[in-house]
Amino acid sequence: MLSARERERYKRQLILFGDEGQERLKKAHIFIAGAGGLGSPVSIYLAVAGVGTLTVVDKDVVDQTNLNRQILHYDKDIGKKKTESAEEKLIAWNPDITIRVIDTTIDAGNVGKLIGRADGIVDAMDNYPTRYLLNDTAHTKKIPFFHGAIRGFYGQATTIIPEKTACLRCIFPCAPPQEVFPVVGVTPGVIGTIQATEVLKYLLGTGDLLANRLLIWDGMAMHTEEIRVEQNPACPTCGAKVNPPETKRSQKREKNDN
Amino acid sequence: MTIKVRFFARFRELLGTDIIVTSQEGTHLLTVVKKIAEKSQDGYDAIFDAKGNFREFVIVMQNGKRVETATAGSVPVTDGDEIAVFPPVAGG
Repeated sequence: MLSARERERYKRQLILFGDEGQERLKKAHIFIAGAGGLGSPVSIYLAVAGVGTLTVVDKDVVDQTNLNRQILHYDKDIGKKKTESAEEKLIAWNPDITIRVIDTTIDAGNVGKLIGRADGIVDAMDNYPTRYLLNDTAHTKKIPFFHGAIRGFYGQATTIIPEKTACLRCIFPCAPPQEVFPVVGVTPGVIGTIQATEVLKYLLGTGDLLANRLLIWDGMAMHTEEIRVEQNPACPTCGAKVNPPETKRSQKREKNDN
Repeated sequence: MTIKVRFFARFRELLGTDIIVTSQEGTHLLTVVKKIAEKSQDGYDAIFDAKGNFREFVIVMQNGKRVETATAGSVPVTDGDEIAVFPPVAGG
């Protein structure tokens, strides 16, 4: 049941979702991997929308060079754990939800336990090795995975529903080279907000998700494009365990094309 | 026959986008993209490695379907094809 205070807080979106939708958000638990550029807008918008439980994981300390984009953290937080800073801000945005923060590095040994029984996993990481770990865990646990990544004035996003859509390894089998990437705050602002929108739609069971659609945002040209993607039958994460013989596959493809 | 090649993100900055090229029947996808990329050394280097193959992380799509970049040298293009070439980004 929503409290009187919650009813007032969410008044303008109750017009959209109704009590039932808001209750769904309240019961949901979203796992956010990273409290940086993408993690900031994702966690803030999910918090103010009333997603009942947010788990935020990050291993870093706030650095001055983070402040041009990581809007969860203020100048006064420099030197503080990002998780501590995030918890403080998110509770201040919305004291009616539960914020769990975990100060650790996500690795193969802890990822399953960290995610637990979350209803969704948000990719707010800055590297592909950890993204692949999250992707694989999402697949094993059958939890939706909301991907986002940025560089400069460009960003990409897609929503991965295990067993229904292409997974991250289907779309990006090889990681781009690691670098100190250039970035301006508006880019994670745009992409993180798209990821948060996808999470809300998924939880509410409404709208069309970015399923099998890779959205590409080009802030320089101010173009948003979409690329259709599909499951790779040979994907090491989600491909069929035994690939059908080539002849069968091409016959099937012809059939689909007709 | 005419082929449309679309570059995205950094590739677009270096090479432009929505480039219409005329090719002969039987031309391979790799050849088509290479010919355009050769206009800019930086553009070429961003997409191709020293051996002239697509860099392994580059995503190439032919009419919305992914092309294995390792085999792009033997994939023929056909009239009206739309080829998309883009670099995944990694930051967060």
